Amino acid sequence: MNDLAAATAAPLTDAASPAKIKVRDVHFYYNGFHALKGIDMDIPEKQVTAIIGPSGCGKSTLLRIFNRIYAIYPKMEAKGSIELDGENILDPKFSMNRLRTKVGMVFQKPVPFPMTIFENVAYGIRHHERLSRADMEIRVEQALRSAALWDEVKDKLKQSALGLSGGQQQRLCIARGIALRPEVLLLDEPTSALDPIATGRIEQLVEELKHEYTIVIVTHNMQQAARVSDLTAFMYMGDLIEFDNTEKIFTKPGKKQTEDYITGRFG
Amino acid sequence: MSAVYARRAIINVVALALSGLATLIGLVFLVWILWVTAQNGLGALKLTLFTKITAYADQGGLSNAIVGSLIMDLMALLICAPIGVLAGTYLAEYASSTRLGSSIRFLNDILLSAPSIVLGLFVYVIVVIPCTELTNGRITFSGFAGSVALALIGLPVIVRTTDEMLQLVPGTLREAALSLGIPQWKLTMQVLMRAAFSGILTGVLLALARLAGETAPLLFTAFGNNFMTAHPLDKMASMPVTIYQYTNDPNPALHAIAWAGALLITLFVLALSLLTRIMFSRKKVSYE
Repeated sequence: MNDLAAATAAPLTDAASPAKIKVRDVHFYYNGFHALKGIDMDIPEKQVTAIIGPSGCGKSTLLRIFNRIYAIYPKMEAKGSIELDGENILDPKFSMNRLRTKVGMVFQKPVPFPMTIFENVAYGIRHHERLSRADMEIRVEQALRSAALWDEVKDKLKQSALGLSGGQQQRLCIARGIALRPEVLLLDEPTSALDPIATGRIEQLVEELKHEYTIVIVTHNMQQAARVSDLTAFMYMGDLIEFDNTEKIFTKPGKKQTEDYITGRFG
Repeated sequence: MSAVYARRAIINVVALALSGLATLIGLVFLVWILWVTAQNGLGALKLTLFTKITAYADQGGLSNAIVGSLIMDLMALLICAPIGVLAGTYLAEYASSTRLGSSIRFLNDILLSAPSIVLGLFVYVIVVIPCTELTNGRITFSGFAGSVALALIGLPVIVRTTDEMLQLVPGTLREAALSLGIPQWKLTMQVLMRAAFSGILTGVLLALARLAGETAPLLFTAFGNNFMTAHPLDKMASMPVTIYQYTNDPNPALHAIAWAGALLITLFVLALSLLTRIMFSRKKVSYE
């Protein structure tokens, strides 16, 4: 928790922070379909990068390469390089285990494991680290506090996570992800299945978490991108059209296509 | 416009009436079967049914058949449940979209609909004959052989329900676990199995209900026995075979005992079905 307090106290950096993830000429194919056509982008550390674009533009596909979750399905292929702190994660030698402890992911629909609330958070930790009972309790509490869920669940840690509301389940999934102390957090339309109040809480949480994590969020919702992100990437039909400061993208975009999209002329 | 709506309203009423009628016909027969079984069985339901063996014929009971059936059903379940659950898991988690997977699924469906007498004959050939030859006739028909035949009845039911129940678990749950670095085997055993637990258990209980009523697989395998035995390598009596033999007998007193036996099996299966329903409704995991 000290880290978080320190980070919060530090002045907010601008887009000047160093690149955490360097995407270089990334192509993606599934079943022969060319879904990403040479993406280059630098995702800065401890900032929120939003990826927007119409359905099928490849934004989720790009996100799903960052932790190689696509690799669990057959007939999927990524080319190019994605450097995480200078190491290419697409290199088969890059350990999947290491990648997934460094890069956490939260999905569209909240998917808690069929276990207690406590176990949902502890399960992932237990696979990677051996902790005493007391240490585990501290870790779980930290994760739940960071996900702004602790106060709501502290008295029912032994109850099934499936009894929580959708918004609580999604924050539990975030807690589960950050319990592994990743460096990068990928959010794939994390609020698309939630009501406005739960969405507001998640957005507020993203705002807080960016002091500790590099966050990449894919969203359908342009207002959301404008609200939570520092940088915004606009994608269209497998191409990265424009990538810049969020303010610039939404006030004076450099490309006609971006302008058309954010003003609602298509998509 | 209104003519179109009137026509649709009529079609709706006709479709509703026809499907209602079909349901009614199905239900009538079901209730009728239960009614006839209860009517004939309740009269013959006596305490001696549970205390005396079939050797006393119309003065006896069914105790050896009840014990034999329980033993063989349980042994069959012990054989087919682990194999079936693991095979179903393989199909759903490791071979779901491969050619091997669909071939296995197809073969499993054939086994599911295979005539049970064929399975009985098969076990006769692969278990009973070798046992007879290897032991010079000391062990021939046995409760064990009966269990193997019954296991073949239950196996495809369990494979199929396990496969289907695991496939119902949303793919995002798999992605969520894998994105935490959890390996596939842990994901399968600790997350997916838990999510699909009540469904898989339902499949196992359904398989038990299914194999408990089978006669044909036992005819050439367990054979039957008029005396009490719990030894799996003895010839063993069972409820369905005893009922079959008693109904073939001209003695009406034996018919009455057969009815009572039929009622007992029906109640057993009914209890299993109720248990299944309770389990499924109580521990339902929903991701909607």
